[in-house]
Amino acid sequence: MMNNTEADVRTDTLIRVMALFFVAIIVLAVTTNPIPSGTGVGERAPPLEGKAYNGSAWTDFNMESYLTANWTAGDANGQWLLVEFMDTDCPFCVRSASEMGQNANYFMKIDKDADGSPAWKGPVVNFVASATQLDIPGHETSRDEIEAFRDKSGEEECASSSCANRDGAAHRFVYIDDIDQDNMKEWKVPGTPAYYLIQPDGIVAWSSAESTEEKVADAIFRLTLED
Amino acid sequence: MVDQNLILVGYAVPMVFGLVLMTKAGDGLADTLAQQNPRYAHARRRHMLGMNLVAFMGFVVSVHTLWISNKISEGANVCSTATVFSCDDVLGNSQYNVDPFFGISWGLIGMFAFGAILFITNSVGKEPDALWAESYMKYGMYMTGAGMLVIALLVSYEVRMEKICQFCTMAHIANVVCLFGFWKAGKMHEEGNWDDKEQTTAPNQDSEKSSNDAPEKAPKRQPKQSNRKGGKGNDKNDKFW
Repeated sequence: MMNNTEADVRTDTLIRVMALFFVAIIVLAVTTNPIPSGTGVGERAPPLEGKAYNGSAWTDFNMESYLTANWTAGDANGQWLLVEFMDTDCPFCVRSASEMGQNANYFMKIDKDADGSPAWKGPVVNFVASATQLDIPGHETSRDEIEAFRDKSGEEECASSSCANRDGAAHRFVYIDDIDQDNMKEWKVPGTPAYYLIQPDGIVAWSSAESTEEKVADAIFRLTLED
Repeated sequence: MVDQNLILVGYAVPMVFGLVLMTKAGDGLADTLAQQNPRYAHARRRHMLGMNLVAFMGFVVSVHTLWISNKISEGANVCSTATVFSCDDVLGNSQYNVDPFFGISWGLIGMFAFGAILFITNSVGKEPDALWAESYMKYGMYMTGAGMLVIALLVSYEVRMEKICQFCTMAHIANVVCLFGFWKAGKMHEEGNWDDKEQTTAPNQDSEKSSNDAPEKAPKRQPKQSNRKGGKGNDKNDKFW
């Protein structure tokens, strides 16, 4: 026989509040299908914002404007996004600049066939570089250096040699000023260069950190053409 | 989709009503409420009804903010505007929409917090003279007081983003009102207004008679004597809130 009836009142109330809580959880589970935010494959890419250099001026950049919220797999009209995190003083980034430029021209449909049609027949893949300054001695960068790296111009030094003399042609894609590492921290980038392929709906489809053996171009071919 | 601001008004109305019940203005509603249920002629019962209403609305708003966060993660736009009032921008910001230590959504934290407050207000509403009731109200005050620090953190996020989330603000207001409610309950204890001065009725006395008795004339019940055994107390017929 139960004697402590005050405990009974509290137990009753606790059960009711817990029931209310579980009803709320069930409603949330039935009506929503949340996708976690992060940079792992299948997660929603974090925001990418800042001032970006497009070859002529520094303008506001927001990754949101590149995305198509209601994109469905197989829709060739949606534009994909390749995000590169780099440092103009990182030797690996300088070495990969040539390949990045070629990939960007091809997948952004700048390269044309003899008949004038784009060489790449798949969906457009926009390239974006987020230029940061790693906390390593000798890695001091600036907007002038980012411009020099992108355009292959000026007197700035990139990884101890002239930015104007780096391999490859001048880039045709935008460079975001992430000197303060805001974007890099938010994306939890382990090191540079790091690449992320983003689906048109903002979901991370591929990252170099998870697929170290696969090159950027191979990943784009594999993922965009299978859709 | 239903206009989110309309839903917001739907949340605000019962919350304002709950606040009114906790203040002097609620005394003016005593007669009207007493006609519906004679027990609401007493200030303490109105106060607890108001607190339960506000805590419940705080819980519902928290569920709604979590729902919006989930919808945004799916890629939907729920309440996005170009103005400063844009909950999508706040609840959709992956950097700020979770707590900095465990990465738990603020909406879920709000559900737990208001669930706990609802437990306190309900328990105390049913057993107002129990020995633990006063301590529970103090715990509630400490909890909502700590909630003020969380609110300060979240407002600092909004300032940084230069955006205001209306639903979050509504949950913050519910916390502030609950803090006021717990504080006021403490004052009522101190000033001796906690006791509802209800006449203790004999077990077989009909409730109609007891409700017609003027509260002022009823013999004052000894406070804190109801750590009693047997029965659920005078408020056993209280509804959920």
